[in-house]
Amino acid sequence: MPSIAGLDPAVNLYQAKPHSLLRISLISGGWGVRRNLNQMGLHVGDEVSIIHKAPFGGPLVIESRGNRVAIGQQLAQKIGVEVVK
Amino acid sequence: MRIALVGQPNSGKSTFFNAVAGYRSLTSNFAGTTVEYTRGRARVNGDVFELVDMPGLYSLTSTSPAEACTREFLLEHDWDVLIHIVDASQLARSLTLTLELLDLEAPLLLCLNMMDEATRKGMTIDSAALSNELGVPVVEAIAARGQGIVETFRAAIKMHRQAPSTPPRPFLYAPEIENAVQELAEVVRPGGSQRAAGAPESRISPGRGVAVISPPIAGAQRLARFFNPRFEALQLLQGDPIQLALRDPVAAQATENIAAQITQRLNHPPDVALSSARHAACLNLFERVVRVTKPKADWREQVDRLLMHPLWGYVFLAAIFVGFFRLVFDVGKLGEGRILALFEQLIAILGQAMDPQGAWFALAQGALLGYLMDAVMHRLGLHGTATIPVLLGYGCSVPAVMATRILPSRRDRFVAALLAVLVPCSARMTVIFALVGFYLGAYWALAIYVLNLGVVALAGNVLAKIWPEIAPGMLMEVPPYRRPSPRVVLLKTWWRLREFVVIAIPLLVVGSAVLGLVEFFGWQNAINAALSPLTALLGLPAAVGLTLIFGVLRKELSLLMLMQALGTTQVNSVMSAAQIVIFTLFVTFYLPCLATLASMVRELGRKLTVAAASALLVMAVAISLAARGVLHLFL
Repeated sequence: MPSIAGLDPAVNLYQAKPHSLLRISLISGGWGVRRNLNQMGLHVGDEVSIIHKAPFGGPLVIESRGNRVAIGQQLAQKIGVEVVK
Repeated sequence: MRIALVGQPNSGKSTFFNAVAGYRSLTSNFAGTTVEYTRGRARVNGDVFELVDMPGLYSLTSTSPAEACTREFLLEHDWDVLIHIVDASQLARSLTLTLELLDLEAPLLLCLNMMDEATRKGMTIDSAALSNELGVPVVEAIAARGQGIVETFRAAIKMHRQAPSTPPRPFLYAPEIENAVQELAEVVRPGGSQRAAGAPESRISPGRGVAVISPPIAGAQRLARFFNPRFEALQLLQGDPIQLALRDPVAAQATENIAAQITQRLNHPPDVALSSARHAACLNLFERVVRVTKPKADWREQVDRLLMHPLWGYVFLAAIFVGFFRLVFDVGKLGEGRILALFEQLIAILGQAMDPQGAWFALAQGALLGYLMDAVMHRLGLHGTATIPVLLGYGCSVPAVMATRILPSRRDRFVAALLAVLVPCSARMTVIFALVGFYLGAYWALAIYVLNLGVVALAGNVLAKIWPEIAPGMLMEVPPYRRPSPRVVLLKTWWRLREFVVIAIPLLVVGSAVLGLVEFFGWQNAINAALSPLTALLGLPAAVGLTLIFGVLRKELSLLMLMQALGTTQVNSVMSAAQIVIFTLFVTFYLPCLATLASMVRELGRKLTVAAASALLVMAVAISLAARGVLHLFL
């Protein structure tokens, strides 16, 4: 099975600017990571935006189609995004 | 007739359950596990049926024990109609579970709950079109306001009456995936064409979630009654760890081969391919049946902006806590007279067995506080799998520890349980309020509370260092604020009070009697002497030693027994302010009560419970000692 974990995303979700529209380009991580994100309704190709970013390396709150999810720093760093606008 | 409720967390399943079966409900455990489900008899328009409320789940691919049990129950087919309750405002995401449920090929009803929320978001849902697309009946509801509940159950009953109806069509994937699924289904089918001759069929059965725990015979019996090869194949291809661990070698080889083929052809592993296909199908479906217009301006957006602001958020959080403490304290003072009068009557009936009225007042306050805490925490939107147990801890540690079973790993369960027993439960809040709050003032009680939060945060950090998490980190839903219905509020309050009256009073009576006996035989000196190294270390009077033992039975007891042991309700006449604070701190942290310890043994096992209890004891001594060192500067 070719791994998608080896790729290094240009920008990960944690580094992205809040309130800009982003598209998930890559989820680097194992079965568990993919499953957890998929269950929360987040897939490659989905458009998301960061609503809040907690200080001191805290979690992000992101929104995708009216669905709000809080996501920790480590996990956010596993999600590659491209900026839509 | 049996109707089962299934749905994502926060979709309002329990509201449906409580509306028709709340009074006569039974909580049962899945065989061999601590995972619970609720069932009860319900009557709707003269039809009587059994209703089963399952734990919430996002997907049929199981990782946590609760999800595995739910899936097992669904696969057993020991139900007549399945109602999938979804949060209509989250329709696109919720429908992915509906598609998975269609794969069960059994009577399914889709209920769109929280329609008001969807409307507020500017969504107009064409349920008739959705019903057509999915091939299952669709009903709308706003369960929190009692709308659509009866209609939902009537639709389910009607479905059952019209049986044998044709089961819903399963959701079909693109041909290249569907062919692979069918190929694997042929292999796992009992007596399947490619199966090695003589391979025992029961070896497939552990593929079902609970078979891991329940004896394999039960699995084999279920297998004989219902087996869906396509469903089994789908789960195998999605790499369900529970199934992968226990599948038979023939299916294992076939799964690997077919998964490799899919990966090669589609450039994705099969779990991604299937999940993305469902996701895409749901988005498509959503486009076809939902019209989205501009959402109405929502007060919650404003609240969000304030509460989640990097600076003001913390200021508001602090303000809420201060306001809350003042409220409990001041309202408590107002009601004190009336509550005392009520309890005095009760005490008269009990034959004047006990006298310390201060304790009664404090206990009543504690029950109120425990409840309020619960409501406030929920209002703040602090949900999420790992935080639920910790927050429940503010009410009572026992359900908090039980709630840890929704977490997938043993490590997470241990950490959550330890943090949950660290936060002050309503009983410990009673002690804090009745001692520190009463004799030193509300702000001192608040200080202890804030210190406790600090300790919880610190303990969480230290635990994360000692036992790093395997999971990639936090991921949880942020549900919108919801007004609780008055009915639910009253029911909850009643349960709290009932539990308090039924459990606490007998314990207090027995505790007093035991203490009387201990004093009669003059044992208290021996016990106090045995504990004197500890009490001396903490700078407490030796007489409190005995109360610490009673505190393990139930935390409020340490308060009542303190008054008994000191021989006065005017604690401040015997103990200094610093001693009162140190005693309270020690009682808050030292050991969870017996009931909590018992549930910890059940959820975590004996070894981890002993480890947790020892850690708590050491921590309590350390905190009390630190307090002793610092307090003389202030008091």
